[in-house]
Amino acid sequence: MRKLWLVIKREYLTRVRTKAFIVGTIALPLFSIGILAIQIYTATRQTDHTLKVAVVDDAGGLADAVAKGLNGKLPNGQPAFQVVQTLERPAASELDDLRTQVQNGRLDAFLVVPEGATEGKAGAEFHTTNPGEITITDSIDRAVSDAVIAQRLHDRGVNVQDVGQLVKSVEVKLMKVSAQGETEEKGQTFITAIIVGMILYITLIVYGVTTMRSVIEEKSSRVMEILVASVRPLHLLLGKILGVAAVGLTQYAIWVVLAGLVSAYGVTAAAMFRPGASLPPIHMPWAVLASMMAFFLCGYFLYSSLYAAIGAMCSNDQEAQQLQTPVTLLIVAGFLLFNIILHDPNSTPSVVLSMIPFFAPILMVLRISMQTPPLWQIALSIAISILTTAGIVYFSARVYRVGVLMYGKRPSLVELARWLKYT
Amino acid sequence: MEKRAAVALSGVSKRFDTLTAVSNLSLRIAEGSVFGLLGPNGAGKTTTLRMILRIMLPDEGSIEMLGRPHDSSAQDLIGYLPEERGLYTRMKVREVLVFLAALKGLSETEARRRVDEWLERFELTSWADRKVLDLSKGMQQKVQFIVAVIHRPPLLILDEPFTGLDPVNAALVKDIMLDLRQKGATVILSTHRMEQVEMMCDSICLINKGESVLQGELAAIKRSYGKNTVRIESAGDGDFLNLPGVVQSLNHFGAVTEAKLVPGADPQEILKAALARGVRINHFELVEPPLNDIFIEKVGGAHA
Repeated sequence: MRKLWLVIKREYLTRVRTKAFIVGTIALPLFSIGILAIQIYTATRQTDHTLKVAVVDDAGGLADAVAKGLNGKLPNGQPAFQVVQTLERPAASELDDLRTQVQNGRLDAFLVVPEGATEGKAGAEFHTTNPGEITITDSIDRAVSDAVIAQRLHDRGVNVQDVGQLVKSVEVKLMKVSAQGETEEKGQTFITAIIVGMILYITLIVYGVTTMRSVIEEKSSRVMEILVASVRPLHLLLGKILGVAAVGLTQYAIWVVLAGLVSAYGVTAAAMFRPGASLPPIHMPWAVLASMMAFFLCGYFLYSSLYAAIGAMCSNDQEAQQLQTPVTLLIVAGFLLFNIILHDPNSTPSVVLSMIPFFAPILMVLRISMQTPPLWQIALSIAISILTTAGIVYFSARVYRVGVLMYGKRPSLVELARWLKYT
Repeated sequence: MEKRAAVALSGVSKRFDTLTAVSNLSLRIAEGSVFGLLGPNGAGKTTTLRMILRIMLPDEGSIEMLGRPHDSSAQDLIGYLPEERGLYTRMKVREVLVFLAALKGLSETEARRRVDEWLERFELTSWADRKVLDLSKGMQQKVQFIVAVIHRPPLLILDEPFTGLDPVNAALVKDIMLDLRQKGATVILSTHRMEQVEMMCDSICLINKGESVLQGELAAIKRSYGKNTVRIESAGDGDFLNLPGVVQSLNHFGAVTEAKLVPGADPQEILKAALARGVRINHFELVEPPLNDIFIEKVGGAHA
């Protein structure tokens, strides 16, 4: 037991002290925060001033209504548009003049409502120097549409004061029915599931491959001979898997703390740019979290020991690259099967797939976060996972204890079967 | 008086698929002796050592060590210098040594203390905080030797311990080895360098194709061959040694030539031949056969 602990400690300390770990752990969140900051900055900058616009009405009789309709507000409460001029059926020279004004910056934009707009024969145009900057096209849309609709109604003899009130649509809310009662669904369950799935997927591959390379490193540097003369191979294998797992957990712990700081201070920071900004609340019940942890650990041990066994079969990275493909494909397959679950988490394929231990870590967790499946299904899936994982760890340990001393040609399946019988 | 056996193998066999690496091998290594495990490449030496080290378990037969059952705790009693040297190349020298010493059962404080002592002894102190990667081959070799001896094992297994070392360090390694033996440790030496075996080993076992072909005390083995070799230092080209019926084979070493006699031949015939040709003899000695010849005879014969 002491030796197992020594192996874990070495694996952990030598990895945590590497530049790659420090840079990776610090750089990723900094990078994400940087991207977020730039986005917040640009998002607030785009619309930080009132646009001076001219309204050109070629249809006739719409200019005032459109100008009145351009009443959108900026996030800071200022009006989004200031209509400085309205022109009805202007001459070509007048249009040219508007264009010049936009070019030299005295005007931000001009809106053209063409002839035939009322009859639905033509669409409106918004002319500006940088169309990409205009993020509030829907408020321009609405202004023109409302004016045109009011005109059409007027033409049919209906007099309206406020078209907006008349054509206001009815909002449909999505409600999620779950064991905890009903809550309004704003897409956060879906997003949580995707994020959790992504994290699992990346973790399984990244740390699985790390474990594999660690085995190969010990083999190719030939330190393995000394190690197996001091420690039981099973302890060496477990120590490696646990050590690498501890590295992963350390990284996540740092990220969670950073994320906590960002969400605590980030909102305050964001509010300085943009009053009223807030992060969407993430709700995750403890039961979901606990079962996720269980599946995560099972999946981690399952795949890590498979990767370690592959490392033990190979003498160098290139060989391992080829041999690891089937294992990596299993993880990728789990991720690609996402859609089946998203489509219907309770369909027979979904239930069956989430029972298969190689996919369960990703798919069952997805089902749990979407719609709590019956308890027996979760329990059965965990039980199958634990049994399979124990089997795989045993299998890997057998392969490992023989493989670590074998150099040269990598084993065929027949040879592998013989390895399992060696003492 | 028979000493206790440091290691005793009885009827040990190990097979890999169709290959029998070790076949029905029995060995008795007396405590406090230096034991030479010899044999051509692929004879089964490494497999034998790995079974003693409990890296592998025998398919048949049993192993006893220092009068104890051979369980995994036996590993802590062995120091091992494998033929294929290997350390964690990206770790610092001191950290590697402390880790490997702790794996052999030392507490980390004790390991640290001894590591510093040994680094001092091998003049590696200034390299303690450098990565193993930065060390020269010879220095890595010394570090590897420290790994083998740091926990003062009662049994030391050294596989080609002197390759890659300069004469000064080779002498240092040899002195440490003999010093440990003085203090009661048993040494198993596996090497192809017969002159080293002749100088250091008390007993040997020569294995070929997994089987023991010659075993016993080195002195007794050599005595059993009798003084059938003449060592000559002479001027001239040594043509006078072509004496069919007297000299069976010749071994030229430059200044010295060893002539193996045909069984029953009189060594005086050589002197007579030299005198007849007027060749000047500087040295003439009747000796036991060198181990090298015994090795070649036993193994070469088996190959033929």
